[in-house]
Amino acid sequence: MKVATTLNVNGVSYPVDLDPGTNLLAAVRDVVGLTGSKEGCDDSECGACMMLLDGQPVNACSYLALQAEGSEITTVEGLADGDTLAPLQTAFLDLGGVQCGFCTPGMLVSATALLEANPRPTEDEVRIGLSGNLCRCTGYDGIVKAVLSVAGSS
Amino acid sequence: MATVEKPRAFIRPDGKEKVTGTGRYTADLVLAGELVAKFRYADHTHARITRIDTTRARALPGVLAVVTHEDVPDVLYGGMVQDRRLFAKDTVRFEGDIVAGVAATTAEIAEQAAALIEVDYEPLPVVTDFEAALADDATLVHPTWESYEGDEALGRHENTLGYSTIVKGDADAALASADVVVKGRYVTDPVQGVPIEPRAVIAQWQGDKLTVWTSTQVPYAARAGVATTLQIPESNVRIVVPLLGGGFGAKCDFHFEGHVAALAKAARRPVKLVFSRREEFFAVGHRREGMVLEFETGARADGTLVARKARLVLDKGAYCGEGGFFAQMAAMHALGPYELENVHIESSLVYSNNQPSSSIRAPTAPQVCWALEQHMDELAVALGMDPVDLRRKTIVETGSVTATGQVLENIAMRETLEKAVEMIGYGQELPEDEAIGVAVGWWPCFASKSGAYVKLNPDGSGTIITGAQENGTGSVMAMPTYVAAELGMQPEDFSMLYQDTDAAPWDMGSCGSQTTFNSGRAVIAAAVDLRDQLLDAAAEKLEASRDDLELTGGSILVKGSPDKSVSIADLAGEGTFHGKSEDVVPDGPEAPAEGCVGRLGLESFHAPQLIAHAVRVRVDRGTGVARVLEVAAAHDCGKILNRIGADGQVYGGVVMGIGQALSEGTQLDAEGRHRNAHLTDYKLVTASDAPRIDVAWIETDTPGAGPKGSKGVGEPPCVPTAGAVANAIAKVIGARVHKLPMTPERVWEAGA
Repeated sequence: MKVATTLNVNGVSYPVDLDPGTNLLAAVRDVVGLTGSKEGCDDSECGACMMLLDGQPVNACSYLALQAEGSEITTVEGLADGDTLAPLQTAFLDLGGVQCGFCTPGMLVSATALLEANPRPTEDEVRIGLSGNLCRCTGYDGIVKAVLSVAGSS
Repeated sequence: MATVEKPRAFIRPDGKEKVTGTGRYTADLVLAGELVAKFRYADHTHARITRIDTTRARALPGVLAVVTHEDVPDVLYGGMVQDRRLFAKDTVRFEGDIVAGVAATTAEIAEQAAALIEVDYEPLPVVTDFEAALADDATLVHPTWESYEGDEALGRHENTLGYSTIVKGDADAALASADVVVKGRYVTDPVQGVPIEPRAVIAQWQGDKLTVWTSTQVPYAARAGVATTLQIPESNVRIVVPLLGGGFGAKCDFHFEGHVAALAKAARRPVKLVFSRREEFFAVGHRREGMVLEFETGARADGTLVARKARLVLDKGAYCGEGGFFAQMAAMHALGPYELENVHIESSLVYSNNQPSSSIRAPTAPQVCWALEQHMDELAVALGMDPVDLRRKTIVETGSVTATGQVLENIAMRETLEKAVEMIGYGQELPEDEAIGVAVGWWPCFASKSGAYVKLNPDGSGTIITGAQENGTGSVMAMPTYVAAELGMQPEDFSMLYQDTDAAPWDMGSCGSQTTFNSGRAVIAAAVDLRDQLLDAAAEKLEASRDDLELTGGSILVKGSPDKSVSIADLAGEGTFHGKSEDVVPDGPEAPAEGCVGRLGLESFHAPQLIAHAVRVRVDRGTGVARVLEVAAAHDCGKILNRIGADGQVYGGVVMGIGQALSEGTQLDAEGRHRNAHLTDYKLVTASDAPRIDVAWIETDTPGAGPKGSKGVGEPPCVPTAGAVANAIAKVIGARVHKLPMTPERVWEAGA
């Protein structure tokens, strides 16, 4: 039995019909059709599915989609301003924060939330703030440098 | 020889799609009418199958195909030994053996159908202790091993898939006369590659033509695997790799493309398989193998290594896959980058009913290096020498002859050791709960054929058509950089057509740190061919001698007459210019390797890469928790093309090495089943665990190196890290941890 609801993703309202058990990641990827957010574990361990819900980061794989009704949902697709990359996106590319790119969407979303809550974090605060997002390629070096560089310039 | 100071950076061309979420990985693709695939895995880790009944599964509404061994050609496949079927026929040999596949309209129906397949078994004795599998009376994992096709040089016998020795002089006699002899036994747990992208495969048939989109590091091997197992021509199979979300070796080899293609054929619909994280752990037939390692080394009082004996046993798991060469590779790492007067190393690669082992980033090296470098530190203690001084005395350098008889030329082992020691501040006063550990290692380049085209577009830009594979490692930066340099253009002037087996000539894929080395050589050759054509055309147009022309800034100029020039865009015309590579694979170094058996070509290390890591570690004696605070990583990987890319490989490799050192290990139950097939209990290093890492490159010009003096760089960074961490832990706690990973429990038990 599907339930009709509306999901507001990156400022666009999507009327959708969902099974009540559908998680937010599946709803956004498979029903809304935005595939930038990734499924790495389906277990809240890797952070590749991270989205902002009214500015707060959540592991979308473990969040029921119907609970997101009425919230502003932000995914990696919502970070750039049209064709202009957000400073974090540019910094990730400039400083070696991207290799395979699979963790990148969730990492960028978490970093966005981190800087929103703490615009001038220390390196330790960045590392702790991103420790819910696993990366296997970069050793986190370029990612941490990128977040710090944006924090320093803001 | 020089230390690289300035970054040479070029932003990755696939970067924008990766940071905006618009890039497409395999699981992001959707084909009209696609079905979902699920597998029915073995219910026992070793059992004879007596009955498979798919009737109830086939009857479930929404199921369009159920496939077992009866529905595909009866073909054995595998790398150096062909010992596996797509779908188990008479026997299952590990937890992830696939008995049947289902394609259905939804994942839920597919899962339900897989569970409805009735399979009867006669359980067989399970071989999980791979060292015991060597015994004469051990249960055979493959009773029909003699009937399998395989490489004769492996020395197969019963449960031993590969056997290799390195013998030089008389190790026993030399040990008897040594001033100091130390012995050690070390055991490592298996480790997983854990790319953050779980693998995905989509197969679609159009008539007799099959297209498979798949998350593989080796598209051409995947194509060959599909063609072999389904008995169809390779020309009917096209493998396309969308963006690849990491591999680390785990996505090397042909894996599930054949299963999904068989399901798609039976269902007459496109079929998609996406692995769960749990499947990504237990079902992939591709992990870093567990090992048992015994070392005995004798030295004179001055530190000279008079003899080394070693006995290595490696857990191959149930099938060969592409890991058939591991016995010899491990034996070479048991030598390590050291001068040794006498040697007797024996290495066995053994079947078991555990998950199959195959290449994970620098296969066999991190485990052997971890054990050997601890063993060297133990020798230093026995000699009363500083461990770094012992290495200064015993490491190989230019002119050294290895135990297999290879003469090493233009290598920078000594310089990497000195640089790592300098960067970490070796010898500094430290708090009593901290210490610095040092380890050295080596790794070969792999010379292989490759091919490429470079074509010019009508607007004067170019397109590189290459078999190079990008899994985050940076081939999308390396290939345009090389081509642009040959044509006097900018890397940004080039696009790449890659990861499509119908487009480019054969390539080995993203494995063996070979992309820059071989694919790079091919794209340069194609660019040189194109340059020759452009110079001919420009000479005619400018009425000048070819010898007087130069390519620079996107134009061809007559030297000394700056007003006489033609732009490449003007020459490009309709866009029919194209260059192709004529590939000449560099010869490997010779090594007589007399008296050695199991010779598979690894008895010499082609253009070896040398690595030294120094790490500062803190150990909490109350809990056994070790934390790596700082890493100095010095590498001789030849000439560095792209500093951002190369540094990134070291940062990632070192952090992977720290995970292997401290927290990553697969735990198996008594029947060889995974007990921690998820990221909660198989713990990767997080951003807050990862230390500061300083990287140094010692640039050498090693004979037989790749283009422009490059060697490989992807695998070496994880080789010595765990050994350096182990040596630091031992200094703090005054005892050795003989099991890897060195978890808090193990450190505490050892004497913290």
